[in-house]
Amino acid sequence: MARSLKKENTSYLSNFLGTPIRVIFLIFLLISILFPLYWLITSAVKFEKDYFAQPPIIFPLKITGINFIELFTRYGALRPLINSLLIAGFTTLFSVIFGSLAAYSLVNGCLPKKIKVILSGWFLIQKMYPAIVVAVPVFYVFSKLRLLDNISSLIIMNTSFNLPLVIILLVGFYIEAPYELEEQGMLEGCNLFQRYFFITTPMVKAGLIAVGMLTFIASWNEFLFGVILSVNKAKPLTVTIAGFITDMGLRWGPMAAMGCLIIIPVLLLMWMMQRDFISGVSAGALKE
Amino acid sequence: MARHNVSIRYSKLDIAYSWIFLMPVIIILFIAAFIPLLSGLFLSFNEYKLNMPSIPMHLIGLKNYQELFKDELFLNALRNNTLFAVVSVTIEMILGVMFAMMLSDDDKLSRFMTTIVLIPMVIAPVAAGTLWRMMLDRTYGVLNYFITLLGFSPVSWLGDPSIAIYTIIGVDIWQFTPYITILVLSSIKAIPKSLFDSARVDGASSWKLFSKIILPMSSPVIIVVMMLRFIDAFKVFDTVFVMTQGGPGNATEMLPTYIYQQGIKFFRVGYSSAIAVVFVIAMSLISYGYNRFRAAQLRRLN
Repeated sequence: MARSLKKENTSYLSNFLGTPIRVIFLIFLLISILFPLYWLITSAVKFEKDYFAQPPIIFPLKITGINFIELFTRYGALRPLINSLLIAGFTTLFSVIFGSLAAYSLVNGCLPKKIKVILSGWFLIQKMYPAIVVAVPVFYVFSKLRLLDNISSLIIMNTSFNLPLVIILLVGFYIEAPYELEEQGMLEGCNLFQRYFFITTPMVKAGLIAVGMLTFIASWNEFLFGVILSVNKAKPLTVTIAGFITDMGLRWGPMAAMGCLIIIPVLLLMWMMQRDFISGVSAGALKE
Repeated sequence: MARHNVSIRYSKLDIAYSWIFLMPVIIILFIAAFIPLLSGLFLSFNEYKLNMPSIPMHLIGLKNYQELFKDELFLNALRNNTLFAVVSVTIEMILGVMFAMMLSDDDKLSRFMTTIVLIPMVIAPVAAGTLWRMMLDRTYGVLNYFITLLGFSPVSWLGDPSIAIYTIIGVDIWQFTPYITILVLSSIKAIPKSLFDSARVDGASSWKLFSKIILPMSSPVIIVVMMLRFIDAFKVFDTVFVMTQGGPGNATEMLPTYIYQQGIKFFRVGYSSAIAVVFVIAMSLISYGYNRFRAAQLRRLN
């Protein structure tokens, strides 16, 4: 019975401006999102003469993989690809490990209330403030430390800018984890580290994975610290693709191929974990 | 955040662990956020050019700040950024809420479109900027091709100083409207279904449901999201960097790109830090005002 009522209800709210307007808007939305993506992918497989053709070739009949091959042979994209993977990978690893330790301690640890309040406040502030504000001093500090153009400096900066969100999200997961097991562990003489490692953290594994995905996407896409702290050998993909525009004129084929290289992995990752992605983004924005 | 429980007795070891667990985070934030912030504050009172190491750093007091408010280029960046923030966030909010409504049912179309809407959110802003720049090229761009098909003359999207900023706004709208849609959508989904059912029994139209139930009930979320987007709009960097580099002329120069230009390109570390300090103070005031507003609103709701 409930089912039939539900059936009748479908597309009721969403037609609040009338069905025709909904259809028109959604078609517009669909095209405006998918067409650029389509254009990127087709440009990446076009021959050089085709991407400057007039009129533009909307449906390329002859396609090629040459742009992807040239990306690695001529434009040296392997290094940036490895850099991006290392930066995003290590940032995710450090953020999740350090973030979970801190979140656990804030929820289940024995800390003065004042410390908890101060730290939570700090995380909220840091989540808001713009990276550009520290960019120039960071550039100055890392150049003094001779750590410019070194991916470790990028990992440090990315980790520090992802940690506040990671902690805020993980605190939510740790609060929801059943506390009885924590108490039981305590009665059986497990210390805090054992309770963290063997009891409570395994229960929030799903949360760690979701938060890890968000961190991976954010640091994979990161550009500002990349452009400031890398000169040559530490460049991530995002900095390299920007270089296609500013340094090399209109090399559209390889540029589009590199765009695919940047976009498609995170797109697949997000779709595989769509539910986690949505709830993570919502919690990140709305939790205080 | 705190858990109160009487049966808990922490051992000394537990207390030590509680602190040890916090240490990595405190150390990282200290090194990578707190120290740079403080050194930025310090640098802002100095004259220091990274490309001229022969002239040592020296204190010049408030000179950087005095220069700032006479700097036509800074004021220009501030104006551009404010225009950018107000226009893009306004349009994003209207479209975002509308799309959220249009995807709020549980039908196949809504679910499919939700999956599609997520796409721009995970695309690196740099990649989105690159992609749009390719599509918006005056001569070879596909958008101008469509426009000429419709009988209009091609537009110089990024080359015309009076248009370029609106082009950047358009790309921002493309990329961030989905963010608002997703957040507002989850707030609509959180409203108990029974509320709608009883209103419908009373003969309320879906527009009534929207204006009388959904809008008031999701307004806290809408306001939070709007504020977050407004603050984010002052962090715009990647898109401008790849699409216009602040040009043509200074038509799309924003505060972050101006800080970058002064500090990294012209090596004026002191001056650029002064801009950053003013910037962060302004942002803090905005978020403080917003928090006050939000607290007042929550009080009214209760």
